Amino acid sequence: MFIDFFHTLRAKGLRVTLGEWLTLQEALDSGLCGSSLTQFYYVARMILVKSETDFDKFDMAFEECFKAAQHETEVGAQMLRWLDKSDMQELAHEEARDHLNKIEDIQIDKEDVEEKFRQRLKDQDSEHNGGSFWIGTMGKTSFGNMGGNVGGVRVGGKTGYQSAFSVVGARKYRDFRDDRVLDNRQFQLAFRKLRQFSSRLDIPETELDIEGTVDKTCNNGGCLQIVMKKPRKNAVKLLLLMDSGGTMIPFSSLLNDLFQAVHKSNHYKDVKTYYFHNCIYSKLYKTPECENGDWVDTEWMFRNVDSDYKVIIVGDAAMAPEELYSDSGNYRGPNGGLSGYEWLKLIKRKYKKVVWLNPKMAPGRAPWREAETAIKELFPMYKLTVDGLNQAMIKLMVNK
Amino acid sequence: MENQIFQGTKEYVASEELMASVNIAIALKKPLLIKGEPGTGKTMLAEAVAKAFGKRLIIWNIKSTTKAQEGLYVYDTIQRLYDGQFGEEGVDDIARYIKLGKLGEAFDSDEQVVLLIDEIDKADLEFPNDLLWELDQMEFYINETKRTVRAKHRPIVIITSNAEKELPDAFLRRCIFHYIDFPSPELMEEIVRVHFPNVEENLLKNAMDTFYNIRTIRDIRKKPSTSELIDWINALQIGGISADTIKSKLPFIGVVVKKDEDLELVRHEGV
Repeated sequence: MFIDFFHTLRAKGLRVTLGEWLTLQEALDSGLCGSSLTQFYYVARMILVKSETDFDKFDMAFEECFKAAQHETEVGAQMLRWLDKSDMQELAHEEARDHLNKIEDIQIDKEDVEEKFRQRLKDQDSEHNGGSFWIGTMGKTSFGNMGGNVGGVRVGGKTGYQSAFSVVGARKYRDFRDDRVLDNRQFQLAFRKLRQFSSRLDIPETELDIEGTVDKTCNNGGCLQIVMKKPRKNAVKLLLLMDSGGTMIPFSSLLNDLFQAVHKSNHYKDVKTYYFHNCIYSKLYKTPECENGDWVDTEWMFRNVDSDYKVIIVGDAAMAPEELYSDSGNYRGPNGGLSGYEWLKLIKRKYKKVVWLNPKMAPGRAPWREAETAIKELFPMYKLTVDGLNQAMIKLMVNK
Repeated sequence: MENQIFQGTKEYVASEELMASVNIAIALKKPLLIKGEPGTGKTMLAEAVAKAFGKRLIIWNIKSTTKAQEGLYVYDTIQRLYDGQFGEEGVDDIARYIKLGKLGEAFDSDEQVVLLIDEIDKADLEFPNDLLWELDQMEFYINETKRTVRAKHRPIVIITSNAEKELPDAFLRRCIFHYIDFPSPELMEEIVRVHFPNVEENLLKNAMDTFYNIRTIRDIRKKPSTSELIDWINALQIGGISADTIKSKLPFIGVVVKKDEDLELVRHEGV
């Protein structure tokens, strides 16, 4: 059922699997959704979506598929037969009379009526009970209309729909989307990825495996047999190079967060951070203020920071062409006779794993951003979002 | 047992959706994965479910060093070695040295229990994957004694996560997922009243206003959560603070705002 919905979800980038889909069908069959679209919305969401970052995508797919149901007014012939039940009419009339008596509390009463009506429907109508969701909704919609017939009381699922769609329409999970620019906590999470792939590094067995030793010794009749194992340590070393040029000022709090996150992630073997102004030349600054003198030679870094450091360069890659290509394009410090581009090429040659994170990267190809395009050819560049950072971390860990 | 429906308890106010998710997880016999901001009552949920159904609650607290195996059973080799050295009776009976973990305990229980796997994301990344079979089939095999421990009554499994790590897809596929939204002011008021039935109206109103204002400050680093509001209201009551001064003087604001930067921000913005 709703196979279109399934496809729409997948088209929106939600990785709904057949297993989860079948679970949803099971839930529908066992009547867990009741007969309301709202309930269906929540049940479907809790079974099919496993991260609040995907709620927004789900909302959009849901809206696309069930928008029609919101305005559904046609009543099928079979539906009418089911609805054409005297006790149902009586109930509606009774509720209508009740309702008129308590006209002051009109709002609460409406809901009450609807609730009872729905309850009664569920209890009495076998077709409805065992039936599928569609019939449920249609039924509800038509009740909404029928409600108009019996004493002007609007009984029915209208509100049910509206609430499902008010949830969808509000898109209140938009902020959780993966592609949103991220905050400190999410940074930290992303940096933990660098650990994920590092636990199975090729390192010698240097740790005493106590359990193994004891077990082997026991089996050996008490004669000691030593078992060694690999230590579970993170061998990742990180070199962070951050742009603190003028164009990065709008992103300063973002970069601050990134910096904090790296330093809170204390699972790295080593973290080194240097700063640069717009582009990397022969000096790297020790502080974000990039003051003259407070620096190290980039060549010193090449000599002292091994090539197995994983390098993350953070910058907007929005240098003026001369800053990138001219031998004298650096107005903040010495160039060492090379253009910024040449320096970047040296970094690429020295370090095996380099990624570039860009807080304002243009989507897709952007030939008008000359510097960005040129740097993209040198280093894999990712936008500074949850998604981008995760991809960058994966890039840093995989072999080529 | 099948017909039981969770509707919250006197002490635990749950939203409609949360209750629905509990009931659906029970009906579909799948673990319920709960995520949400810290302090929204993820852990409390399991207690409430256990209480509502009158079942025993088994809590498996996950730490960064926890291994999946520990939840199933532990083979106490050290004790066995020790006993072996002194020629104790029954050293060759390995079963004596097998101790069931929390999951094992839940499976082995004679009545249905509620099993809370708390903060599953704290553990190693492979941890959830290591539990796939056990949570699916509700059984595991003890290698040493060749015994299969099978759940006598499928426990109600509630898993909480603080989203510190991504959980593996294979694991997520098997769960029912619910994200606890931050409570709306109305729900929050209800929650506070559950804790402090006699709270003074003005105090509650002013404290709530201030609390939600703090949450909306744009640059705040750690948004205060439900538990912090409850602590604060408690402090305000004990301190005998009059309701009018709450907004202007922010008494005991350290209970709500924990970071220095945030404190400064709050004082500066003047909520």
